[in-house]
Amino acid sequence: MAYVSVKGAVKFFPREDGTEMMILDRVSFETKEHGITCLLGPSGCGKSTLLNVVAGLERLDQGNVAVISNHRDSGKKPPQLGYVFQDPRLLNWKRVEDNLVFALKGMGVPRIEWQERMQKYLALAGLDEFRKQYPLYLSGGMRQRVGLARALAIEPEVLLMDEPYSKLDQLTARKLREDTLAICARLRQTALLVTHDVEEAAYMGDRIVILSARPGRVMEIFENPLPPVERDMDELPFIRFKKNLLQSVLRVVRQEVRA
Amino acid sequence: MKTNPLAEALQDIGLRVSSIAALVLAWWLMSLIFPPTLVPKPWETFAEVGTIITTGDFFVEMGSTLRRVLVGFALAMVVSVPLGIVMGTLRNLESFFEPPIILGLTMPGLIWAVLMIMFFGLTETSAYAAVAITILPMLAISIWQGTKSIDKDLIDMSQVFHASPWSKVVDVILPQLISHILAAIRYGLGLAWKVVVVVEMFGLSNGVGYQVVRGFNVFSMKTVLAWAITFLIVMIVIEFGIIGWLERAVTRWRPRVEAWRR
Repeated sequence: MAYVSVKGAVKFFPREDGTEMMILDRVSFETKEHGITCLLGPSGCGKSTLLNVVAGLERLDQGNVAVISNHRDSGKKPPQLGYVFQDPRLLNWKRVEDNLVFALKGMGVPRIEWQERMQKYLALAGLDEFRKQYPLYLSGGMRQRVGLARALAIEPEVLLMDEPYSKLDQLTARKLREDTLAICARLRQTALLVTHDVEEAAYMGDRIVILSARPGRVMEIFENPLPPVERDMDELPFIRFKKNLLQSVLRVVRQEVRA
Repeated sequence: MKTNPLAEALQDIGLRVSSIAALVLAWWLMSLIFPPTLVPKPWETFAEVGTIITTGDFFVEMGSTLRRVLVGFALAMVVSVPLGIVMGTLRNLESFFEPPIILGLTMPGLIWAVLMIMFFGLTETSAYAAVAITILPMLAISIWQGTKSIDKDLIDMSQVFHASPWSKVVDVILPQLISHILAAIRYGLGLAWKVVVVVEMFGLSNGVGYQVVRGFNVFSMKTVLAWAITFLIVMIVIEFGIIGWLERAVTRWRPRVEAWRR
């Protein structure tokens, strides 16, 4: 069991003129265990910042974020988090398999397990035949798959994903979404995905947390009634759910415009 | 567009050879204008080069010079790579080391050579020290500025995956500095040659610099030029052989940029 608990998260960023700008305003929610939680909101609402706080790259000004796990004494060891970035952030001078080794080594996975993990997760991500390639010789979609395999190979308690499909073409992004959803369902992976794309949130999210424009506040939390296997983008149940979600997002936007 | 690697390589070699041939042609034209004591004929000078090489003087003298360059250069690299990385990543140390590095850069190599000979006497140590201390600021600046331009996103990535400080340096920072290090090696070697020749001229009794002074003392332009050419041959071997090979080996991961190909 592992999930992320966010309580009263407040974050300010300094402006150039020395004043401070509020990015997150008392954000509270919990992610779904063994499922994908989507943080959905407009650009600049602080959703990526929140993901960086979970990853330990940034600190909150108030509130707290915790990764709760019953496999680990939360007070003593740092959480095992996999991160798929918007740009894949690969070490381009290392072969695909060595990019995985870099993460495995850092996370203290015993060397004896490396081969098995590489084989398993490269195969899951559809990268079997590319393990000896250098990243710059791969397409953008394949590089993003390497980023996914690297994050999964450490067998994280929580998988963090920051708009990982936003820089890919529509078809590649769609295929990668399908594959990521299937992989996460198969591994029963707890994941937190940040996106500004309503359709992506409806497709990927078991739980969807809608954030307002800056400063980000939680406006509504949706539970996806469709299990992952029944989310077919071209079928009526999915289209209906996506419509509901879109209406909620539009309601939030309209309220804000009025305010 | 499909390319033939052999044709490409031949074209590359052809361009380099014609560049050198053009220089020799210009030299020959000058030798028609000036007396042989000032500008000797190219082939006479090349014959002198042949003599230097066949008598074995070349290997003895060049060996001494090369050793001084390489030891001094290695000393400078060992200090400047960590120094440059530290300066590029830690603000306090950057402020502390910046003034001596900038001052060191402005000091002429000739003065370092004189200072080192006065300090260490007419020994090999003066040559090693003069080479190391002259090129160190230039190498450190190159690595320091390179470190400042490394991708911060990759550092964040390495943080997320709990990379150790050693792994951050070896796996993340150093590979990003490779172009800067290679450029530093090229400039550094060029500078090291210049300094070592000065030290040899001043205070040592062997090496290429010493031989050039001997040629100068008898006003033999041919001898001076012949030794200069042996020097160039070694530089070409180092540049296109060793450094070129090193560059290809460490940048294999990077597809070649063909900006002007249509």
